[in-house]
Amino acid sequence: MIGYATRRLAAALVTAWVASIVAFVLFWTIPNVDPAYWLGGAEKGNDATRALATEKYGLDDPLPVQYVRLMRSILNGDIECFYNCGSLREVFFDALPVTISLVAGAGLIAVGLGVWLAMICVRHRQRWQDRLITTAATAAYSVPSLVLAALLWAFVSYRWGLFPREGYVPLRENPWEWAKHLLLPWIASALPFAGAYVHVVRGALLDTVDEDWVRTARAKGLSEKQVIRRHVLRNGLIPSVNIWGLDFSHAFGGFVLYVEVIFGLPGVGALTADTLGSFDLPPIVALAVYLAIVVVFFSALVDVIVAWLDPRLRRPGPST
Amino acid sequence: MAGTTPSENHLTDRTVIDGRSTNIVSLDGIPIGPTWHGRYLLGADENGRDLAVRLLYGTRTTLMIGGGAVLLTLLLSVPLAFAAGYLGGRTDALISRLLDLLWSFPALLVGVLLSTAISLNGAQIGPITIRSGSKLIPLVVIGLVYVPYMTRPLRGQVMALRGQPFIEAARAGGMRPVSVMVSELLPHLWTTVIVVSTLLFVNAVVLEAALSFLGAGVNPPEPSLGVLIAAGLNDAVLSPHLLLAPSIALIVIVLSLSGLAEGLRRALDPRGALDLGLVREP
Repeated sequence: MIGYATRRLAAALVTAWVASIVAFVLFWTIPNVDPAYWLGGAEKGNDATRALATEKYGLDDPLPVQYVRLMRSILNGDIECFYNCGSLREVFFDALPVTISLVAGAGLIAVGLGVWLAMICVRHRQRWQDRLITTAATAAYSVPSLVLAALLWAFVSYRWGLFPREGYVPLRENPWEWAKHLLLPWIASALPFAGAYVHVVRGALLDTVDEDWVRTARAKGLSEKQVIRRHVLRNGLIPSVNIWGLDFSHAFGGFVLYVEVIFGLPGVGALTADTLGSFDLPPIVALAVYLAIVVVFFSALVDVIVAWLDPRLRRPGPST
Repeated sequence: MAGTTPSENHLTDRTVIDGRSTNIVSLDGIPIGPTWHGRYLLGADENGRDLAVRLLYGTRTTLMIGGGAVLLTLLLSVPLAFAAGYLGGRTDALISRLLDLLWSFPALLVGVLLSTAISLNGAQIGPITIRSGSKLIPLVVIGLVYVPYMTRPLRGQVMALRGQPFIEAARAGGMRPVSVMVSELLPHLWTTVIVVSTLLFVNAVVLEAALSFLGAGVNPPEPSLGVLIAAGLNDAVLSPHLLLAPSIALIVIVLSLSGLAEGLRRALDPRGALDLGLVREP
């Protein structure tokens, strides 16, 4: 188990490293992007400012030297955030708890709701409860979270004023306010995923519900509820855990971007959206590297958790 | 509906509603809501532009970007899947590693970063020049982002087919690899291509909306569903129609396209044999 976790984390580090090279190449060296132009004030700059930028960032040095220097300053936190609010690394780490609250809450709601509804479906399979829930799940799945977030924010928090319009309160300061600020973002991001999970989990549970050990459990006199909870659910959840893990480790560069912008949450998604709009190269590369590290770290964490749940996955082999 | 273009302003015009002449944009800057008549069917926006016209043109842009992106994905992934699955060995290892790398990052993040990189100064791909602000940027970006999602299932299928006797027979008959791929392997892949393409089309439409919403896709005033949703968001208190119309349009498109994708999957792959390895990112 520890061996697997080590291998998985090492693979994650390699992925993050390659991603940092790609980000560097994309924003620093491809011929159409002239860093001197953008670092020298873009359209407001002139030859003098561009020469100054070339001097300051060492743009005449060999590319590997520039890469190492840029990465070193990114990891040291020397890169300034775009509206001169200090070290980008600190700004990023201040914003991370907001995003983790959003993603963790949405993930728990999505998986809890999905599994609970799928269990109801399986207990009442082929009856109206089943049909109602699967139809509702398809409907929830078909509303993109972008639209759901926009509608919830615009009507529930802005027009009707039932929830705060923007901002974030840390959990430790005031749990009630924390939940109040995050409830709508959670719903907006979780509902489409919950709809998808109802289908996935229901399919997996229906595959196990006719197995021999389930019949044995029924034969020894367990109630249908206990059969599903103790015997069907444990085996039926394995494929779902995988999908859930992939979805929510990807969330750090996925739905958080627009959900945080819409709900005015000061997390890494909103920070990324602001920074990209600034066309300021070093912060953009820095954010790309930070986000790459966060995404690969959480993917690795999820894979380790999944392997802990399902020992068959622990054998060595290609894993990304 | 006719008589105006999607980006033509009618800030000071008047129109007749219920027999009374009304300012299209009131003196407080609030545009009229839906009239349910030919002109201003769904109302106007704060510049007096006809929302129904903008919505139609925007939907066209979104669908064209989505369709073009899926075509680009196909053009790139079919050769890649053939190379990886048929040639195997180092080619396979290299292609699979690269695609896994792209796969391990979320599509929206890669899309936003790529789109920003291209928007900085445009890009040149062979004979095609993409200028900053062009609608080709989201098309190319979305097309690239989804390459692993298409290549993975195709590669798996090519690998499974490679060992079949009819391929061996074709090779024994002296067919060159390219001919084997085109005339022997390709006909077996159509099912996967059609099913995955429709699924990706839904994804591409939603991704376009998200990219444009974040300012990394279609640029205003050019309308697209993402642009219209972003614009409608801030006026939702006084003019809810500006947000509702594009949102409902996007929901209807996604609902009907996923219905189509699901129907095609059931019709072409009734036993669920295809390993799509893909869940739509909602």
